[in-house]
This record gives sequence, structure tokens and C-alpha cells, in this order.
Amino acid sequence: MFDNVFLQMALWACLLAAPATGVIGSLVVVKRISFMAGCIAHSVLGGMGFCLWLQRAKGVAWLDPIWGAFGSAIASALLLGWIHLNYRQREDAVIAAIWSAGMATGMIFLSLTPGTNVELFNYLFGNILWITGSDLARLALLNGAILAVVAVYYRRFLALCFDEELALLQGVAVKRLYLLLLSLVAVSIVLLMQVIGTILAIALLTIPATLAGLFTHRLVWMMGAAAALCALFSILGLGASSLFNWPPGATIALLAAASYLLLLPLKKQFRLTLRKAFE
Amino acid sequence: MQIEIENLFFSYDGAPLLERVHLQVRKGEFIGIMGPNGGGKTTLLRLLMGFLTPNRGRVSVQGRVGYVPQVHRTDRDFPITVQELVLLGALSQCGFWGYPKGVLARAEALMEQLGLRDYRSKPFSSLSGGLAQRALLARALLGDPDLLLLDEATANIDLPSTKIIFELLRSLRGKKTILLVTHDLRAIIEWVDRVLCVQGEVSSFLPKEVCEHFALGLYHTPLLRLRSEKKREPAHV
Repeated sequence: MFDNVFLQMALWACLLAAPATGVIGSLVVVKRISFMAGCIAHSVLGGMGFCLWLQRAKGVAWLDPIWGAFGSAIASALLLGWIHLNYRQREDAVIAAIWSAGMATGMIFLSLTPGTNVELFNYLFGNILWITGSDLARLALLNGAILAVVAVYYRRFLALCFDEELALLQGVAVKRLYLLLLSLVAVSIVLLMQVIGTILAIALLTIPATLAGLFTHRLVWMMGAAAALCALFSILGLGASSLFNWPPGATIALLAAASYLLLLPLKKQFRLTLRKAFE
Repeated sequence: MQIEIENLFFSYDGAPLLERVHLQVRKGEFIGIMGPNGGGKTTLLRLLMGFLTPNRGRVSVQGRVGYVPQVHRTDRDFPITVQELVLLGALSQCGFWGYPKGVLARAEALMEQLGLRDYRSKPFSSLSGGLAQRALLARALLGDPDLLLLDEATANIDLPSTKIIFELLRSLRGKKTILLVTHDLRAIIEWVDRVLCVQGEVSSFLPKEVCEHFALGLYHTPLLRLRSEKKREPAHV
């Protein structure tokens, strides 16, 4: 099955996206900001649609939509962070507004752009078989950058996610670190966009990490396990999609969600066993 | 002075929570904070830590601050071991390669002192309430704070843990300034130098004054203050 060149490229994409996805996904899950990550993922479409419109309708040929995705992901992450830090009471309503405004902007620009129906589908739900050599290089670069930043700030992220007040007392620049975390989430979503699409990115970002969290008790182990699960779901999903001729992104997301539902009942049993082992 | 508060006023969404607060705490004092729920005890601690800004007035705190929150306010599902949690108390000393050897040794000594040595590699989520509270105290002490703030650190925990925590606090008496929010009257009688009653305003009492009023079945801070003022009147004449 994996003799196919397209599938080989797709396989590399899965393996390259997995480490950063597992690491950032774990931070998203323990910090309980999955809703924010979902908002960033959906607002990506706004910037992407705008760049595609400029490229196709206005002749700005050099402008790759991926830069629009980057721009809107980072902008929405910083906006969400600012709202969280300053207007926490109304946070959920504002997140919903940014979420839908980003999607709406993207849809309008895409509707104004001629001949983008297939591309729209691929951006929304991903098409890993589109991956090119330069995409793989970009994935590797982003993956390396994300892992390097988390390695440097690991203990500070641990404090931020576990106890913001402790981090403040220890002199950590909590606001800046929080914005950095959201920016890393934004970069990870752009990274995942090509593998699974903007709408399904949140599935790969949160489900493997949540599953890993059921069976680990250190953040660093959770990150490792989440990365391994992410790679596993991507590869198995890719294989299944090829076998049944299903869309790869949707197959990967469905496989991850089904695994989570199957393993969830084991959580209680595992926690009991763990507690007994430590007593 | 370790703490100086002058004419503090603080409100949440326009509703006054603390007003006309004047307070001075000397270095090395052991102070108990009591008062009804919603009276502003935790808010007072958060103002001292700088997490909240007063609407009016001035708050001045000297030295490093260590904070022990109520255990139920921490995320008990968080993937962290006891040792990792304790070490976070010295995060400001952590470099790229990890914690200095001195910090690691101090963390070990604190875990030993608080009876946590056997739990160092275990998940925080697997600890009982009392053990978890001890881990949070070890974390606060690792940073060698000058001022230690404890928010109901002995509420709803087992007796051995309460005993261990109070024995440690006794050994710190005079060396560190301690502010302990508690509803434990026995702790107030036995341990503290002064009691602050927080209920909108902050009133300062000696432990024996508080005990006399509890003996009469009184708890309401204004009543406490009224009786205390009446009692003191002859002295001013």
C-alpha cells in the first residue's frame, strides 16, 4: 500500500506533524483551552480565503494562502489571549464570535474567488495526498521550532498550566508566556492544516493528548505518549482511508475519536490500579 | 515592617468587599486570619500577593512571598509528580538544564521533614488531601519565603497531617512572618500572636479576646469589635 509515492509523502507528513502536535496538544488539554484552540483553527480560514482571493482574483501571484493561514492564526491567538487576560468574564462569548467571524470571512473571500471549490474542501477537511516536498520541509522546520521553544520553557509552561498564581509569585512573565503558548497552538494548527484540515485539526490536537492523559502522570510522558498516539492514528487512518477510499482527514479524526470512546471506560479502572500500586 | 496596608478599599464589580483597612505586620509575627465565608479573607491574601490591585489605598509587602492554597483549589487531575510539584517552588532559580543541586537537596530535606519522601515519584493526584496539602506547603517553603501565606491549609485534612503542618509552622515561628487563614479555634489559641477578623473590614485582636467571645457563642466580627472596645473603655478613661 505504501509503495505509492503520494502515500509515502503523506506518511512522512504524519510522522513530522506528530511530535509537535502531541506536545502542544498536551499543553492545550492540561491548560483546558481546547475551545480556544478550536477557535484559532476555524479562524485560520479567514486569512487563507483572503490570500487566495488576492492571489486568484487580484493577481498577487506570490502570495501563498499558507501565509494568510499563519497571519490569521497568530492574530486570532493573540486576540484571544488579550481577551482572556483582560475580559475573562465574557471570554466564551467572544471566542464564539471570533470563531464564526473567521469562518465567515473565509467563506466570503472564497466565494469571490473563481474556481476554489475543491481547494475549499481540502482546506476545511485536509488532503494529505496533496503534500509536496517543500510542504514536508516546512513541516519539519515548524516541528523543530515548536519542540525547541517548549524544551526551553518546559518548566515554566508546567507552572503556567498547573498554577498560574505560583508562576506569578516565582517571577514568571505569565501574560507573555500565555500569549506564547497560544501562538504555539496557532503554529501547530497551521502545521496540522495540511494533514487533516482546519476543521478537524482540533481532533488530532486534543484526542491523542486526552487519551495519553488517562494513562500517564507526568506532563513530559503525556507529551511523548500523545505524539506516539498522534502518529499511530495518522498512519492507521491513512491506511484505512486508502483501503476504503475515504477522505484521509476524516478517517484519521474518526479513528482517534472512536479509540477515545473505547478506552474511556478503562480510565477509572486504570486510576484505581494506579492508586492501589502507590498505596 | 513586613506588611503595611493603608486605607485600603477593594470592590468586585462595584460591590465593596474590603474597606477602611489599615494593617501593620512586623517581621516574624504569626497571625491567624478568621472571619465568615465571603468576608474577604482570601481577597486580602490575593491583595498581599499582588494578584489584585486595590481600588484605593496602599499595600506594601517586603521580601519573598510563599503561598499555600487550599488543596481543593488545585487541579488534582494534572499530570505531575510530588517532586515536580515541590520543585516548582524554586522555579525562579531553575536554569535551562534544570534546578541547581542545592535546590534539589533542599527539596529532598523538606519532603523528608513533611513525611513525603516515599511519595516523591508518585502522582500528585494519588495523594490524600492531607498529603497533598503537605506537598503544597513544601513547595511554598522551597523558595525560602520571608512571608508565608496559608489559605485554610489545615481545613478538611486528616489529624496527622494537621499535626505535621503545625509542628513545622511552630519551628518557623519568629523566623518567618506567617499569615494563616483558619477556622480552627484551637490553632488560634495555641499558636498565633495576633488574630485578624476579616469581614468587610479588618480588626485585630489578641487570641485570648477571640476565645472569650467564642465562649459566649459569638463569632460575628462587628460584635467582637464592639465587645472588645467596651472592654477596653475603662483603660482609656
